[in-house]
Amino acid sequence: MMRVACLLALVALAVLIIAAVHLDGATATLFSFVGIPALVAAMGLYVLQRWRAGAFHWTGNSRPSTR
Amino acid sequence: MSAAPTGALFVSPPVEPAVDWLRALPVLVALPAVAILLWGLVRGRLPPAVAVAALVLPAAAYGLGMLMVMEKSKDVHFCGSCHVMTPIAESLHATDGTSLAAIHYTRGLVPTAEACYTCHSGYGIWGTFSAKTAGVVHMLRAATGRYVLPIELNGTFDINSCLGCHAGAASFRAVAEHQDPDLQAALLSRTMSCTGACHPAAHPEAALTGGGAAS
Repeated sequence: MMRVACLLALVALAVLIIAAVHLDGATATLFSFVGIPALVAAMGLYVLQRWRAGAFHWTGNSRPSTR
Repeated sequence: MSAAPTGALFVSPPVEPAVDWLRALPVLVALPAVAILLWGLVRGRLPPAVAVAALVLPAAAYGLGMLMVMEKSKDVHFCGSCHVMTPIAESLHATDGTSLAAIHYTRGLVPTAEACYTCHSGYGIWGTFSAKTAGVVHMLRAATGRYVLPIELNGTFDINSCLGCHAGAASFRAVAEHQDPDLQAALLSRTMSCTGACHPAAHPEAALTGGGAAS
């Protein structure tokens, strides 16, 4: 899953670099309808992978309040 | 004097920065992100601190990229880069006075680099917002071919875009027709347009149907 997330983010960044080098209607369309969804999907996959690894679960071991 | 004089004085904007930071910054932020993501792609996992950078850097690059696209997409060349808009962008250079857009463009009455955006976006932050959201729909329609020729304005043209410059101009106020209360009411209620009856069409019909512009 991590590899898929990295691949999607790389696709998104490739689209961004192409748009930065040569911005026209075609590259702006790629940026909006390929790059942004790919980046959102990559970030979603990463968060899902971290959640499945137990990153966002309540363990009850949080540092107690000092007040 | 030649028909098309050239020189630095005729370039707008006159001074270009040595480095176009609007284009450079997203790339500069994206490059280390690419290196980290390639590392993650090969290894299949990343150390926690590096993983945070792999999450933050692409997001930051895209934030800067959005600023770049928002700003650079105001350019006339950008508008004319889609096939359906190319004849309209080319028609701006016509000097025969038959199109209101060309009259404004060739006489320098609007910023020539951002002529389309100047007239087709409203004033204030909501004007920019509505212009950009409409632009996203235009891109979608152009990409999927869901448009009909001749292309037409979606709704009525916002006369405030005209009045923003003309309302305070003495030459505009001096015209007898503009002082007519009935005409003022018709224009402000959008039942009448500046173009057609009194002023030339905004764009030549040939350009709206996807053909070449009259010169």
